[in-house]
Amino acid sequence: MIQPVELADFFTVFFSAAMVILFGALYALLFAYSRVKSVPRLMHLAYSAYAGLFVSVLVLGDAANLFQNTFWTFIVVLMLVGYLLAPHGIWHLCTRTHEHEHEDESEVQARNFFQQP
Amino acid sequence: MAALGMLDSANLNGGQKLAVKYFTVAIALFGAQVLFGLLAGIQYLKPDFLYGVLDFSVNRMVHINAMVVWLLYGFIGSTYWLLEDESGHSVVGLALGNLIFWVLTLAVAVVVVVYLLIQVGPGDQSTIWLINEGREYIEAPRWADIGIVVSVLVFFFNVAATFAKGKYTGIGGVLVLDLVALAGLYLAGVFYTPNISVDQYWWWWVIHLWVEATWEVLVGCLMAYALIKTLGVRRKIVETWLYIEVALMFGSGILGLGHHYFWIGTPEYWFTIGGFFSALEPIPLVAMVVHSVFDSGVHKMKNTNHPALAWIIAHAFGNFFGAGVWGFMHTLPQINLYTHGTQWSASHGHLAFFGAYATLVIGFVYLALQKWRGNVWMSGGLADNGWKWKWALGLLHLGMIGMVMGLLISGYEQSQIERAIEGSTWTGYFAAQAHHWFQQGIYWRQIFGWVFAAGFVLLAWDLMTIGKRETRPALVVKEEAAAA
Repeated sequence: MIQPVELADFFTVFFSAAMVILFGALYALLFAYSRVKSVPRLMHLAYSAYAGLFVSVLVLGDAANLFQNTFWTFIVVLMLVGYLLAPHGIWHLCTRTHEHEHEDESEVQARNFFQQP
Repeated sequence: MAALGMLDSANLNGGQKLAVKYFTVAIALFGAQVLFGLLAGIQYLKPDFLYGVLDFSVNRMVHINAMVVWLLYGFIGSTYWLLEDESGHSVVGLALGNLIFWVLTLAVAVVVVVYLLIQVGPGDQSTIWLINEGREYIEAPRWADIGIVVSVLVFFFNVAATFAKGKYTGIGGVLVLDLVALAGLYLAGVFYTPNISVDQYWWWWVIHLWVEATWEVLVGCLMAYALIKTLGVRRKIVETWLYIEVALMFGSGILGLGHHYFWIGTPEYWFTIGGFFSALEPIPLVAMVVHSVFDSGVHKMKNTNHPALAWIIAHAFGNFFGAGVWGFMHTLPQINLYTHGTQWSASHGHLAFFGAYATLVIGFVYLALQKWRGNVWMSGGLADNGWKWKWALGLLHLGMIGMVMGLLISGYEQSQIERAIEGSTWTGYFAAQAHHWFQQGIYWRQIFGWVFAAGFVLLAWDLMTIGKRETRPALVVKEEAAAA
């Protein structure tokens, strides 16, 4: 069922696993920021972050012996697809939940805050 | 309403008066956690320090139990804080809630005294009932277990009955359902069995399903309320996100329990269940980070309470790094075989508990203090430029990150030498403990422990003084905006 990690691959596993999550967050943040600020250049960076995630997942899969078993290979594919689609889903949720907040910022601030008398 | 800047209970409603009692004890227990952590840390470096007087096993136990209890006090306090505000109704059974606060606090004090003074000697049925139940992290003797269950049931009654009589909100509904699970799961840690696999199987129901399911959902509710109060985020938005996060948290967190079942004698299918759901567990944490950044951006960071918002943001990132990154680094069974139960786990535990829970409770205490002092100004340009809260936040994080990295180095060495090379033998255990990389990691952990302690002292000082000489009223969120 599982093939334990080789001693020589310990650091590779720790580092690549951390990079999976960090690149995943970076991808999601850049994706959202690019859409919020309407800066298409950032979208390229976002997908560069996903490319980093993609490589990290493959490195993790190799170092942790995940490709030696069908189930664990499926987990690798799930991570690749899941992290690719997650920011799209998160963005969709962000915009849908904020869809009634389309006023400009000054209006939002003026409506939401006031100094107590 | 008392003068601005003065601590006055007249500024608070019934539930909030009870909440500040819980917060006071919580911060005191936080101090105890830091103190006993420092003592236990010294004993790693000087094993004969306080030997026979205050043994390492006792220090470690009090350190961890103090953490669990202060966070629970923080959660209970935070819930009482928002209860009347959310439900629009005074707390039902408040007198009973007040009584239970004193009973619970007295029980905690008695348990701690017993921990410190009566822990050496043979164990039998009577010691399970009176001295120590012997289950890691939930060592409280049986009488205290029963007391905790009764206390939580009274707390649940207060919350559920108040929402039942007042108005229903999304936050209230999720909170009530979550408290059912919180109280119910504790029962899995109350019975005794001589079979270690069975014991561990149910014990993880308390530990994991509290920490990675019910506690996460509880702080989700608290964060939703805090975002309404500090940033003026619309209720509809935070409640929608709360539902999403609850679904993601429970969806991945409940069966994420499987990553604790890898090595305790449970069937092999737990490898697949644990591995699959552990891979999903970081997703809600990523979503929370993105959402909090999104909301902060929408509201241009303009807020009613700078320290509270700073701690809320620290919570989003701390939860992501501590639970997400540090958890995923060693959650797959292929590597967890070597890291489980080493200082790796301690590194993950320290960052996750601080990042996910301590930060939010501290943020809530700042929210409470603002109103306790008559709803004073706590936004930008505080009288002393807010140096105390900023330095406290900085030192606590520096201390925590330093400790986490020290433990990480020690755990990495342990996983290689004790586990992979020596095959988890006693010889391997002692070889790993004596290795200079392990020792250096533990040494640095202690140094940064002192930094953390300095941060705690500054935090306590700030909590006692912030807003004291403030004469400006707070920037507040309009009701119609918050309630929209």
